[in-house]
Amino acid sequence: MSIMAYNGAAIVAMKGKECVAIASDRRFGIQAQTVGMDFQKIFEMGPHLYIGLPGLATDVQTVAQRLKFRLNLYELKENRQIRPKTLMSVVANLLYERRFGPYFVEPVIAGLDNKTAEPYIAALDLIGCPMATDDFVVSGTCTEQLYGMCESLWQPDMDADALFECISQSLMNAVDRDAVSGWGAVVTLIEKDKVTTRTLKARMD
Amino acid sequence: MAATCVEFATGGFSFENCRRNAILEEKGLKPPKVYKTGTTIVGIVFSDGIILGADTRATEDTIVADKNCSKIHYLAPNIYCCGAGTAADTEKTTQIISSQLELHRLNTDRTVRVCTANRLLKQMLFRYQGHIGAALVLGGVDSTGPHLYSIWPHGSTDVLPYVTMGSGSLAAMSVFESRYTPGISREDGMKLVRDAIAAGIFNDLGSGSNIDLCVITKDKVDYLRPYDEANKKGVRQGKYAYKKGTSCVLTETVRKVEFVVESTQVKVEAMDTV
Amino acid sequence: MSERYSFSLTTFSPSGKLVQIEYALAAVGAGSPSVGIKACNGVVLATEKKHKSVLFDENSIHKVDMVTKNIGMTYSGIGPDYRVLLRSARKLAQQYYLMYEEQIPTAQLVQRVANVMQEYTQQGGVRPFGVSLLMAGWDEDGGHPFLYQCDPSGAYFAWKATALGKNFVNGKTFLEKRYSDDLELEDAVHTAILTLKESFEGQMTEHNIEIGICNQDGFRRLSPAEVKDYLASIV
Repeated sequence: MSIMAYNGAAIVAMKGKECVAIASDRRFGIQAQTVGMDFQKIFEMGPHLYIGLPGLATDVQTVAQRLKFRLNLYELKENRQIRPKTLMSVVANLLYERRFGPYFVEPVIAGLDNKTAEPYIAALDLIGCPMATDDFVVSGTCTEQLYGMCESLWQPDMDADALFECISQSLMNAVDRDAVSGWGAVVTLIEKDKVTTRTLKARMD
Repeated sequence: MAATCVEFATGGFSFENCRRNAILEEKGLKPPKVYKTGTTIVGIVFSDGIILGADTRATEDTIVADKNCSKIHYLAPNIYCCGAGTAADTEKTTQIISSQLELHRLNTDRTVRVCTANRLLKQMLFRYQGHIGAALVLGGVDSTGPHLYSIWPHGSTDVLPYVTMGSGSLAAMSVFESRYTPGISREDGMKLVRDAIAAGIFNDLGSGSNIDLCVITKDKVDYLRPYDEANKKGVRQGKYAYKKGTSCVLTETVRKVEFVVESTQVKVEAMDTV
Repeated sequence: MSERYSFSLTTFSPSGKLVQIEYALAAVGAGSPSVGIKACNGVVLATEKKHKSVLFDENSIHKVDMVTKNIGMTYSGIGPDYRVLLRSARKLAQQYYLMYEEQIPTAQLVQRVANVMQEYTQQGGVRPFGVSLLMAGWDEDGGHPFLYQCDPSGAYFAWKATALGKNFVNGKTFLEKRYSDDLELEDAVHTAILTLKESFEGQMTEHNIEIGICNQDGFRRLSPAEVKDYLASIV
């Protein structure tokens, strides 16, 4: 078994028209044993900026805290909010510092640029290689399923409602074919004037 | 041990997780795969400069992780570098060296030479004894003319008129071996590099998607991304869009956020010490 | 180990003054003059570069330098001290860029360089820098010009226009009279040259002054030919 699959997780982020969404499952398990169904894997990094951290749960929390630490310092030093692209760089550096003894997380970033409101999504591997795309990024234990769902469901210029359905269905149907993720889902929809967080009814097996 | 969350940027690698990770591995948990740029990267010397070429596929084991990643990295205004191998390593190594070259450029007030870039790269890679998995094709034009190098993860380098690297290097080299001529023209050179990358894209599974080119001449750089889309996806006729309300929502919280484009005018609090 | 017990040169006097810092400022005040003016569409830095002998190769050293593509600086005071700060400023800017993949904002660079200067007022075995810096920048986002001064104490100030070095009081008075908020960069260059001219001894040529400008295209040092053109249009 891979270390990445020890606790199980599935996270996906998608671009829409003037909006982005990030969604994750809510399971916290220890291998096949499910321990919790309300595990936080998406963390707020700014008013329009979120990061999803799938992987080993202990590292998920450590990385989230270390990142928040660096982010708070950035905001205090520079007296401004961080941009999504800049956050990506900070995460990449945090992970690459541990190139030879990595944290087992593969982060997903979703946000709107705080100047242009341009949607931005990116994923990184566990040693911090960034990958910013124009459509969607996936990460976690069922990336193959998620890729399949997203490749067929995603289309350009979806409005907020369409994006919500698209990302929800992509995630829900992908985790159904993954034993170690699922057990509830949470979707965060980021628009210029509001951020909507919804929890979804999902299979609990 | 210091408290885990107090940290200061010191530079350099941190090995704090190594012991734990080794123990996890001992217990039979496999470490995950990282992004690789399976890759076909090539470079040639042509009549007045250098042409670099690369495909745009990144893979994570057998999954295509990125269909359009950029593998030709900026090092200096006159020097670019293609990267193959562990994607994070090629990305960060080129960034670090690019930064050192910029400092060198500012401190010497000269255009940096390609041999300098080569030296910095090979010394860094040799220091890490191959653990930084970056295989590079380095090309540029300086005061002494065009130069092309291939750099291996262990720090050895070659100077060649035409090079290929990555998993598609054999396919690409077959094209070069049959068609490369010294002093090849710009037009023929670009066609040749395109065909070499295309050979990698179609014959090597680790390479795919588009062809990026970078043509460096004495006073101009043309970064062509994409130069050619070797694989066009068919246009999808139908839609799989779900109707609004398909997903069953349990709870919903809406948070209004004001979008303020803040000015970055940083307040300066000057301290009067004297 | 021994440096642990070597005390700082900058020790408080009973009246609460750090006289070493005041002496450092005196070194700045005795240094050759430099001027900075912030216009609405850019910033200009100008400095006097007089040589003690005609045998000097006047193009071999510069006093106005680029730190990043959108920040430049000059100084009044001790030249070698300036070079140390220039190198560390460039390195700090590169470190920022590697961390954030974003050009360092001028205010950030100024703060960090000022921190370096402050460290040299408190550390053992060192003396304060004998320079005041003028830094001109144009930030990538926001699109504003910036002009800062950094003193040996580590204090820094944002200016619309200022003068450093020999005769800086006269220079400032001159600038106060000449400055207006809607100044254009071209006029600012002229004003900067005129300010230098106030206290300039002898004939001003393109070889004994140096000018740098910073606008939305970034920072650059003017070539002697360009300086010559400006000088010609003034007389």
